[in-house]
Amino acid sequence: MFRLLMAALGLALFAAHVRAADADSKPDDPKGIEFFEKKIRPVLVANCYQCHSASAKELKGELRLDTREGMRKGGEQGPAVVPAKVADSLIISALKHADGLEMPPKQKLSDAIVADFTKWIEMGAPDPRRPNSSTVGSKINIAEARQWWSFQPPKVTPAPKVKNAAWPKSEIDRYVLATLEAKGLAPVADADRRTLIRRTYLDLIGLPPTPEEVEAFVSDTDAKALEKVIDRLLAMPQFGERWGRHWLDIARYGESTSKERNVPYPFAWRYRDYVYDSLAADKPFDQFVREQIAGDLLPAKNDAQRNEQLVATGFLAIGPKSLNNRNNEQYLMDQADEQLDVATRGVMALSVACARCHDHKFDPIPTTDYYALVGIFRSTDTLSGVKRGNNKTGYSGDYGYMIDAGKKHETGTEERRKLAELKRELEKAQEDLQQARQQARQKLAAAEANGAKGKNKAKNKAKANQKLAAAFRQEQQRVDELTAQIAALEGGSSGSGPPVMAVRDSARPANVQVNIRGEVNDLGPEVPRGYVRVLTYPQSPDVVPAQSGRLQLAMWMTSKHNPLTARVMANRVWFHLFGRGIVETVDNFGALGERPANPELLDYLAVRFVAHDWSVKKLIREVMLSRAYQLSSDHSDANYAADPDNKLVWRMNRRRLEAEVIRDSLLAVSGQLDLARPAGSLTQTITGGEIGRQARTAGLQEPVKFRSAYLPMVRGLVPEFLNLFDVADAELVVGQRDVTTVAPQALYMMNNPLVGEQAKATAERLAGKSDLADNAARVDYAFRLVLGRPASSDEQAATLAYLQSCEDAPAAWMNVCQTLFASAEFRYSY
Amino acid sequence: MLTRRDLLQTTSCGFGMLAFAGLFGKSALAAPAESENPLSPKQPHFAPKAKRVIFMFMQGGPSHVDTFDYKPALERDDGKAPGQTVGGRGNRKLMRSPWKFTPAGTSGLPISELFPNVAEHADDLCLLNSMVTDLPNHPQASVQLHTGSFQFVRPSMGAWVLYGLGTENQELPGFITINPVTRVGGAVNFGSSFLPAPFQGTAIGGEGQRLAGASIPNLANRNLTKDQQRKQLDLLQAINRERLAKDKVNSELEGVIESYELAFRMQSAVPKIMDTSDESPSTLEAYGVGGGPTDNFGRQCLLARRFAEAGVRFIELGMGGWDQHGQLRNALTRNCTAIDKPIAALLNDLKLRGMLKDTLVVWGGEFGRTPHAQNEDGRDHNATGYSMWMAGGGVKGGLRYGATDEHGIRAEEKKMHVHDLHATVLHLLGLDHTRLTYRYSGRDFRLTDVHGNVATEIIA
Repeated sequence: MFRLLMAALGLALFAAHVRAADADSKPDDPKGIEFFEKKIRPVLVANCYQCHSASAKELKGELRLDTREGMRKGGEQGPAVVPAKVADSLIISALKHADGLEMPPKQKLSDAIVADFTKWIEMGAPDPRRPNSSTVGSKINIAEARQWWSFQPPKVTPAPKVKNAAWPKSEIDRYVLATLEAKGLAPVADADRRTLIRRTYLDLIGLPPTPEEVEAFVSDTDAKALEKVIDRLLAMPQFGERWGRHWLDIARYGESTSKERNVPYPFAWRYRDYVYDSLAADKPFDQFVREQIAGDLLPAKNDAQRNEQLVATGFLAIGPKSLNNRNNEQYLMDQADEQLDVATRGVMALSVACARCHDHKFDPIPTTDYYALVGIFRSTDTLSGVKRGNNKTGYSGDYGYMIDAGKKHETGTEERRKLAELKRELEKAQEDLQQARQQARQKLAAAEANGAKGKNKAKNKAKANQKLAAAFRQEQQRVDELTAQIAALEGGSSGSGPPVMAVRDSARPANVQVNIRGEVNDLGPEVPRGYVRVLTYPQSPDVVPAQSGRLQLAMWMTSKHNPLTARVMANRVWFHLFGRGIVETVDNFGALGERPANPELLDYLAVRFVAHDWSVKKLIREVMLSRAYQLSSDHSDANYAADPDNKLVWRMNRRRLEAEVIRDSLLAVSGQLDLARPAGSLTQTITGGEIGRQARTAGLQEPVKFRSAYLPMVRGLVPEFLNLFDVADAELVVGQRDVTTVAPQALYMMNNPLVGEQAKATAERLAGKSDLADNAARVDYAFRLVLGRPASSDEQAATLAYLQSCEDAPAAWMNVCQTLFASAEFRYSY
Repeated sequence: MLTRRDLLQTTSCGFGMLAFAGLFGKSALAAPAESENPLSPKQPHFAPKAKRVIFMFMQGGPSHVDTFDYKPALERDDGKAPGQTVGGRGNRKLMRSPWKFTPAGTSGLPISELFPNVAEHADDLCLLNSMVTDLPNHPQASVQLHTGSFQFVRPSMGAWVLYGLGTENQELPGFITINPVTRVGGAVNFGSSFLPAPFQGTAIGGEGQRLAGASIPNLANRNLTKDQQRKQLDLLQAINRERLAKDKVNSELEGVIESYELAFRMQSAVPKIMDTSDESPSTLEAYGVGGGPTDNFGRQCLLARRFAEAGVRFIELGMGGWDQHGQLRNALTRNCTAIDKPIAALLNDLKLRGMLKDTLVVWGGEFGRTPHAQNEDGRDHNATGYSMWMAGGGVKGGLRYGATDEHGIRAEEKKMHVHDLHATVLHLLGLDHTRLTYRYSGRDFRLTDVHGNVATEIIA
């Protein structure tokens, strides 16, 4: 700890020195910079930095090649680079291994590289590596950057008047129609009722309506027929599974560590169920997010809520982990990076993680913002049940524990009072510690500045070190003691319940230092914990030094002043209902993302969302009751020519169903689907250690009939069907899944026994239906059952002809049902 | 009515992109618009030397000083303990190779007696004696060898190649991995990560599995004959086409129709290639197929040739068991015996068919082993210097490229990092590794990230 601090001080001083020295700030021409980045920098990094940079173990020849200044100043032998003067630039003769200077010493670099360096020097040696634009300082102008559309608070602009006033059913429709009319376009016809009811079912619960449900809707003349269906479906637990699964894509839900040492997470499913239940209960979205970021720190009314909120933090704990990493610091930094990424990209569609090695290239996110956030996650313990290194089971590391109402002994008033007192004391002690460190730093800096030289300097430094270590040893001891007491007291009231993947604030919250170029061994200045600066607003909560800052982070993310959170979620909802986001890049609202196709509509939805207490269900309901949602997916030549991507919503998009919906529909149609929630996860059947090594994973293959939302999501061993139909990669934040059409899908539908069995069961259903008078009626019903509509006369004829040509009738019926499952229409929503 | 092709030709690129995106997912947007099928052959950046790759992955870290990196000084200094042991593990002593090296071919490449048959092809081999990788751990090094990154999940080399070049036979997958190792990264080693799914590898068999009988999943129907299934497919396509007529324009649906036709063709094409009964007994004998220690790898090599011949772009052959911390003498003998004859047969066969010149064969593991002894009859991991080799595909034969120090501890001359290997493989295929990029999460990614230098000296 102390050594780290010293290293930090050294580097901080050094950085300040360089900043003062660099007076040359004339910007280079972008082409030159590009040349440098492409041809020069990579060579320097790969071949020279080892001995000639801040990260060199021992700086050779007093020469630094990792700064513009260093190159021009040169080392013992003179300037390495003199702009535009190739002959005077020592680096060229060194690269050529001429004149007795041979660099790199062991291997001459290629002639092509030498030619690049020559050209570069002739260009004037453009080099962006100035200290004030480097990884440490930052050129980003925050005030200017705030003007970016998605950083502006959403505000409602009343929808403009539309010409076709009869068309809109709702405010949403007026926004949609206005943009269409502005381009001279008109929406296509409304969807027919069979298409609409199938779409509604698939979107809300991920299951098709039965033929009887379809007919009931078709013949319901009530103006509120659709509304009734929507409300009924919204209230079903299946809604939670369908929409919860959307969230799990973003949460990169997976039940193992993945990577080189793939260790199962036998308790990840608790988080999965938490997500489904939260969506089903219409938990306000802001609360939903807060619980996942800082549920362990939120007040709870009772044990049940406390447990629920603890499980929610699994969001941060279930990520992929590189257990084989030999470097603990690297491991922890990678873990924090992964947590930071899922939180910022998932909730705010912002690629903050791009700022790990340098300022964000496109968005106004300096690398210091990144490390401000990393500090928060590094001040957090991740309780995943695994640990770095060998894991015999998924129980090798620490877990969080629920409160077991049955076992727990009552926490008395006295104990609670004592606990509160201890916590206050701890806070105070941590502040003291912080202060002591601060003072230590200042003293040391003063000692350094006094400029003692040589042996004396080393002696002084050692003396100072000793003194300073003693100075806050006391404070540190006090913090440790208190932490232990609190743990003991709390242990009495938790501990005994079931294990949970979770997080908790670490005993010693602390800021981190910038990792220069993302290198854990190359430390820059310390950064106070905080958030993305461009998105701070006057009421942003400050990080309390004695805590991790997660609670404040959660508050900041879900504040109604945060311009992104509500917009991003409203856009995700729109995406799931239309197949295309208003902002097409659902996970990127930054400079490289698309602009919103209808910004007023997006803002309207975001503002409504917050006004309705962040109710996801209300938002979905309002969108689905718009006429826009109820459009057909019909083609229109004129519209197509003007807006081929349907950005402006002149029709409903045809959408390939997600893998889960296709499988569940198969099972639902065949009558085999088991809607009950299975207890836990099949991942728990894995025994014996690491997957791909000793572990026995046969249990994952068990043929099960429950919903796909409960299939085991072991990373690298995702069920074949889900994989084939583009399930989200469980390692990445995925707001929009790929849609691929590949031959292995066709092979599966044609040949896999799962499909064959469902076809057989469906054929048996048909045979068992005594009210179907003849083959024609059976064929018609088969189409209704599988595709939600009657057979056309051509389809009827073709199918009957097929049946007639087959000798074995039961087999022929099975083949017909399989054919319908295999049809393109079955896997699409129209 | 307009066909999709007509429309593509007459409307702006907007629709071309849409049709493409529809078929293969949003992420295909970064790919060239002129091709609808991401797997159809694409023009490389420049004239290629090689058209396809056969990559033999020897998982575990084959000992370079016992196979392809001859170190006379190691013999001389046997039993000494010079300087620092790699990894700093104790005071280990150098151990001479138990095997003799003899100059082979007219080039006189020194090759260990463990590879008598491969040695006959010395003049086709380009030994890469100065390989380095970042970490001496199996999982990370294996994943880095396959994807360039040990830190993050990234697309595999085969996926990149398929993305860059497409494939020539649309009845077969373009990237096939035979007996892939299931550990050390598993599916990541042939995955497509953020590249669209069609670029991922298709696995046949698994680690250590007997190849006889292995195949691609769902390739056969249990109940229907080929004719019966064709009849069923006709009904299916009739229903699909009726829907297409209703939809007027629906490229995705056309994609589904095509996928069934391809699947149907694959059902015949794949087993035909997997069925080696049309090979002459002398060929089977040459590959060592037909029982014995060479049987499985012989089958792998034979299949590699058959897939290569059929136009598959990237073929990987997996073999584990090269981690000789102990039992070096027995285990290395066993391993090399299992692969020596099959590899020689493959090289010979490719040559006879005129395919070696444009088929790049790459052999190697995730790292090498220390010249120092471990457990008396073993060697430890060594990532600082090891060997791989290439043959065919436009590389110079009979060449030793780069060198380790006199004992084989560290690469010293012409270091070749895994990134450089990747850059070179892509280069031989006509792809500039700095231009083969894919935009994901706001930035352009490459197989070589920000690294990679083409080893131009090895190119013929």
